Amino acid sequence: MVSIEIEAFTRVEGNGGAEIVIENGHVKEAKVKIFEGPRFFELLTLGRHYYDVPDLEARICAICYLSHSVASVMGIERAFGVEVPEEIKLLRELALIGEFLESHALHLYLLVAPDLFGYADAIRMAHKHGEIVKEGITIKAFGNYIRETIGGREIHGINVKPGGFGRYPTVEELEKIEKNSEALLTFAKRSVGLFASQEFLGARAKYYVATDNYLYGNKLIASDGESFDYFEHIEERSLPYSFAKQSLYKGEVFMVGALPRLMLKGDMLTPIAKRLFEDHKEKLSRGYVSLNNLAQAIELVYTLERAKEIAGMLLDRGVKGENVPVEPREGEGIGYVEAPRGALIHHYRTDDKGRITYSNIITPTAFNHAMMELSLHEEARKRYGEMSESEFIQKMEEVARAFDPCISCSVHVVKL
Amino acid sequence: MLKLGVFELTDCGGCALNILFLYEKLFDVVKFYEIKEFHMASSFKEHDHLDVAIVTGTVSTQRDLELLKHARSHSNYLIALGTCATHGSVQGGVEGKIREKLEKVYGTKANPMKALDSKPITEYVAVDYALPGCPYDKDEIYQVLMNIANGVEPPKKDYPVCIECKLNEYECVLVKKGIPCLGPITLGGCNAICVKSGLGCIGCRGPLPKDANPAGEFEILKELGYDEEYIRKKFKTFARGELRW
Repeated sequence: MVSIEIEAFTRVEGNGGAEIVIENGHVKEAKVKIFEGPRFFELLTLGRHYYDVPDLEARICAICYLSHSVASVMGIERAFGVEVPEEIKLLRELALIGEFLESHALHLYLLVAPDLFGYADAIRMAHKHGEIVKEGITIKAFGNYIRETIGGREIHGINVKPGGFGRYPTVEELEKIEKNSEALLTFAKRSVGLFASQEFLGARAKYYVATDNYLYGNKLIASDGESFDYFEHIEERSLPYSFAKQSLYKGEVFMVGALPRLMLKGDMLTPIAKRLFEDHKEKLSRGYVSLNNLAQAIELVYTLERAKEIAGMLLDRGVKGENVPVEPREGEGIGYVEAPRGALIHHYRTDDKGRITYSNIITPTAFNHAMMELSLHEEARKRYGEMSESEFIQKMEEVARAFDPCISCSVHVVKL
Repeated sequence: MLKLGVFELTDCGGCALNILFLYEKLFDVVKFYEIKEFHMASSFKEHDHLDVAIVTGTVSTQRDLELLKHARSHSNYLIALGTCATHGSVQGGVEGKIREKLEKVYGTKANPMKALDSKPITEYVAVDYALPGCPYDKDEIYQVLMNIANGVEPPKKDYPVCIECKLNEYECVLVKKGIPCLGPITLGGCNAICVKSGLGCIGCRGPLPKDANPAGEFEILKELGYDEEYIRKKFKTFARGELRW
């Protein structure tokens, strides 16, 4: 028995690698190893006052800090029975849109595009394909502008609060968001063409899972038609070779992310994104995980269109900027949000003083862990013996990268 | 050309990501620096002696520790970047023995992945420059790298967040609104960005090393009606160990 070690995935967030086990000349097993150290977030928030919790949870991940703070706020509000008005819901959605733009642009243009053009990174790629890199950076910077405006800072802002926001956006800021999202559509549409050309890689998931609304929700939905709370059908297990736990849906491997979102919720898309989705639907329904990149490109179009819609709506009605009072009570609540890389869950119980007594967080990369192993296994089976070891490792990395893994997020999945 | 390596230990990825958020300025950086290692951004990696090593994150595993030692022994100038690296940040603040924490999270005391109690890199190696912040302001790392490229020792900040708050003419949230704000005892450099949102500083750049009066802050928060446990937890969020007051 021999092993091919992918020592550390590059061009992904965090520290992880893989081991492909070969026995008698055949690929026997693929293990995804997460060696980013444990971060014990659920212990960190235990006993903490609810008001400070979203700021702490944001620190789980820099690429998707707002997904965490919004999921956290929603879980806490549900535990207290707090309902927020449309304005706050729209602004939170806008915050998540900023995160999608920043994260998808980072992933597609700076991390994946170098694979399509055969470079080690985007800086080296920029010498010949500077325009593409620049378009990506422009979308990413715009996403960060929204993150800063609504979230309070590009990374780890603390403006998203239970009951509302610390500060509300001005008319000028909303106008800028409305105008820029229109202007950047051209770039986003071009990216769809670029990523539609990527080869099929990895496995096909038996089930897809997503939240019931496009960017957040009240429940999870699955491709077998089920609508459920995560604990009803998703089970977790610990692995001896990884700091991330693995999840199964009804005992089977499943996938979360852009591709599952499009396939489950394609009818919720905005007009141009919907047309692009229809154009590529046949290809996307082939289900290979590398199509997650194309799905993300279509989502760039969706989020830009939706940002324009939301900014327009808020400008028309005027931003009142009023927070809802939050009365702590003993309770339990779950926040379901679509992080850029897939469904994310924050589940809390609180005491009557508003302190956290129980916390469970499951991140998309933890959900996808089993699917990533399956994909590496299938791809390795196809490729082993067909190419040099360095090319083989490169292909394996491309498969892992298609999940847009966020390893920092995945290392603290826990029930207490 | 100076040789630069970026090494990520256990963290949220933000301190490495923030370097990418320099956008066009990153192209200025690469005029002076050849990037030899930066695994979040590049598949290119070359083992070489480095002029400057940037290390982010806490030492939370044996692997982190080995990577840190490698970075230290292969570099002339080492920058501890971000509050994880300088103070331990949020994971460093989680109390308890590592095996007990592992048992609570993974259901077993077994430690096959060799996890360590999370500590800042400053507890293991000497660092040439410490730039805290969760995250730091991205222009700070740009300035530090440019200073080094020009042979100038980058200046160290030594003032509280309050100074920047006053310069921006923000209303004092602690005095005027009674919001718990750690600005008076927290190292500045963030341009008081959270106070800009009308919110209290949560102390993400770690405690101000000297001239701060945490005991005074503690009393003020108590007078505002916050209980001692709440205040203690708030003080310790980003900095490992007890603050002495």
